[in-house]
Amino acid sequence: MRRAALPLLFLLLCCLSLMVGVKQVSWSALLSFSDDAWLTLTASRLPRLAALVLTGVGLAMCGVILQQIVRNRFVEPATSGGLDAAKLGILISLTVVPSIGTVGKMLFALAFCFVASLLYVAIIRHIKFKSIVLVPVVGLMYGSVLSAIAEFYAYRHNFLQSMQGWLLGDFSKIVQGNYEIIYLILPIVVLTYLFAQRFTVLAMGEGMASSLGLNYTANATLGLMLVAVTVSATVITVGAIPFVGLVVPNLVAMYYGENLERTLPIVALYGASLLLACDILGRLLIYPFEVPIGLTAGSVGGVVFLVLLIRKYT
Amino acid sequence: MISLSHVYKAYGNQQVLNDVSIEFPPGQVTSLIGPNGAGKTTLLMLIARLQAPTRGELKLGGRSIASIPIRDYAKQVATLRQAPEFNLRLTVEELVAFGRFPYSRGNLTAADHQAIDEAITFLSLQALRLSYIDELSGGQRQMAFLAMTIAQQTDYLLLDEPLNNLDMKHAVLIMRALRRLCDEQGRTVILVVHDINFAANYSDHIVAMKRGAVHCHGPVAQVVNEACLRDLFDLDFEILRSEQGFVCNYFNPSTSRELI
Amino acid sequence: MSRLLARYGVWLLVLALALGFLLLGSGLDFAYVIPKRLTRLAAIGIAGVCIAYASVIFQTIAGNRILTPAIMGYEAIYLLFQALLILLLGTQSLVLLGRHGNVLLSILLMLGYSWLIHRWLFRNGRNNVYMLLLLGLVLSMVMATFTQFIQLKISPGEFSILQGFNYASFNKAQPAQVIYSGLLVALVCLLVQRTLPLLDVLSLGRDQAISLGVDYLRSVSLQLALIAVLVAVSTSLVGPTAFMGVFVANITYALARTNRHRVTLPMASAIAIALLIIAQYLVEQLFNYNTSVSILINLVCGVYFLTLMVRTRGSA
Repeated sequence: MRRAALPLLFLLLCCLSLMVGVKQVSWSALLSFSDDAWLTLTASRLPRLAALVLTGVGLAMCGVILQQIVRNRFVEPATSGGLDAAKLGILISLTVVPSIGTVGKMLFALAFCFVASLLYVAIIRHIKFKSIVLVPVVGLMYGSVLSAIAEFYAYRHNFLQSMQGWLLGDFSKIVQGNYEIIYLILPIVVLTYLFAQRFTVLAMGEGMASSLGLNYTANATLGLMLVAVTVSATVITVGAIPFVGLVVPNLVAMYYGENLERTLPIVALYGASLLLACDILGRLLIYPFEVPIGLTAGSVGGVVFLVLLIRKYT
Repeated sequence: MISLSHVYKAYGNQQVLNDVSIEFPPGQVTSLIGPNGAGKTTLLMLIARLQAPTRGELKLGGRSIASIPIRDYAKQVATLRQAPEFNLRLTVEELVAFGRFPYSRGNLTAADHQAIDEAITFLSLQALRLSYIDELSGGQRQMAFLAMTIAQQTDYLLLDEPLNNLDMKHAVLIMRALRRLCDEQGRTVILVVHDINFAANYSDHIVAMKRGAVHCHGPVAQVVNEACLRDLFDLDFEILRSEQGFVCNYFNPSTSRELI
Repeated sequence: MSRLLARYGVWLLVLALALGFLLLGSGLDFAYVIPKRLTRLAAIGIAGVCIAYASVIFQTIAGNRILTPAIMGYEAIYLLFQALLILLLGTQSLVLLGRHGNVLLSILLMLGYSWLIHRWLFRNGRNNVYMLLLLGLVLSMVMATFTQFIQLKISPGEFSILQGFNYASFNKAQPAQVIYSGLLVALVCLLVQRTLPLLDVLSLGRDQAISLGVDYLRSVSLQLALIAVLVAVSTSLVGPTAFMGVFVANITYALARTNRHRVTLPMASAIAIALLIIAQYLVEQLFNYNTSVSILINLVCGVYFLTLMVRTRGSA
């Protein structure tokens, strides 16, 4: 029973997500093949659903990979400089090559995010920490340096406010034709699943990994590459969504343990469900307007995380 | 005299001390011994007022300690826990001067300076006086912290595992210093100590604790015997007595049973 | 000897920088340019003292050299409050409250947050710094998201006002505000001055402090309240400075080579002021107001701190 609950919840959320919106879409309209209803569905609702599910799965997986590589449960793209680096990359692409297309922007974001993550892991591995909580502090510090560079740039070119715009995840502009890049997450998810066992071994540390015959550097680099692709694809299409990568893996680890091969599908389902729920909430909260998902996910995720912390440590 | 009557202490649901009633004889060195998790340190923390009991009463000289202002309490009872990790950039002299804080609140008088000098001399730390404590060895640092506590000039000294991580020489130096504080200055010393041999050779009185309760207590000669120690630690003991003192052999005692 | 040099040298540096800041390129215009710059300089001085005192004292209480009030969520709360004000009341909020009303409200808000931190920090008598740090981080992230959302919702005109809060520079400092803030900070410093030996004892940690007869809870509440006032004043003057406190405090410990607050507090203030003057000068002269003091400072301090952590292999 409990095994079926999560997939059922996920399916329910998917249906809800298709139904909810400014434009009413009813089953009867669909069944009578009303063109208008089908157009809304295929041009806006389905792309949105796909983008939501992929982003949720991708971000949750990113959290898992980063947490395994850094060996710290409080790491995710937002607390390791990855998001800020992607943002900086887009900003630089805009000022250096203003005519650049979406793919070009994404490549910039990808490159920045990847290099920044490599550097972050190098820094973290170099420092001996007194408390695991300080790892995300250094990550945030690192992120704030990157975003100070970005702000420095943006301030001079006077687009600080519009930059705040892409910082915040928002699915409302997703329609057919402008979101397809997000499908890049699909192969990433498959690869992550295939490499799950390697990441579990990575989490035991370099010494242990080597003695088990695993090339630490190569595999960690691979993991960071997967993260960079996911982060840059989501930032380009929907913007930044904090906390998904943090909350979901922690929740799953609490209830299902840490054997990645077994828990990754659960992480994926949780991630997608969390985003779907937050999105539906955002669409209903100030109907007919929308609260961007970055905000709903940020606050729901933040509150869930706080509750987790408080329950765990008190 | 410090006494406890029907003291309970719980952290959340976890009962750490269970109906402890005991008196600590004045002018003696008392060691608290027992296996891990027996509640020794908690007991010491209650006396030091670093924790409050869940139930029960602690008295100092017949007066409930909770009714004594913390500032006055610091003139009667001094506590030394393990030196903090935070790497403090202070000289030994500056550190010892902190011992005068209960009296001077930071404005040292001539009497304070004398007390500082005495404490430093008592532990023969003159040579290290101007050294920074973050540059000292672990043993020297522990001596410096002990000097601070001595400068507090209290009747009672509480020490929580003062020998932790020390080499044998410094462990012996510290225990001898505590012995002298008791014999020469009539101070009452209560300490938590892990090594049964240090407890047996340097204290007058032993309080053995197990699972949050007092297992047995009394003068050293009375507590340090094979039966009592075996019950306390679930280990076999062979006690070798000589003119100079005891050695408790629990490594390969001749009476060994199978360890379960 | 070298220690004395460091102690007084920093103040000489501050003096030189201050004079340079006042006079360089002023054309010795005592009627307009110099009084204007004097106001800015005073604002810098006040903000520097606030940042230095708040950071050093907070690190003493927390027993940790990476934590500063900024990291514990104080600034995030301030920014959220400003954003909410503008969202709810529009640009009129400025007229309605006035600059002083705003600062006063911010101080109250910070005091409330300090009280919360205090409640959290010493639950069950245990010092839960790391737990609290995590809480501060999460709060900061949630609030940064809220702030971003509000920024999206408001008009560009309102945004530029909000930006004024988020990236305050000293250009808009009004003489009246400087005087009020100055008085407030002077009062706080006076209080701190009277508790200097107490602060030294607090740096030994909770247990040792209690053992030395300190009423720990009361002393820490007082210090946290003072920190709240300092952070509110500094944030309203310079805007968020994120990691500047960490930078200032750690440079101070390295130069002062002692932990006595009698030495570290003034020295940290001098370092903070020097840093702010340099940043302000760069903003005015080199970047021609095309960037802001807080951006520059976050850039420099962040980089410094990361290299420090890597080079020393992290005494974190």
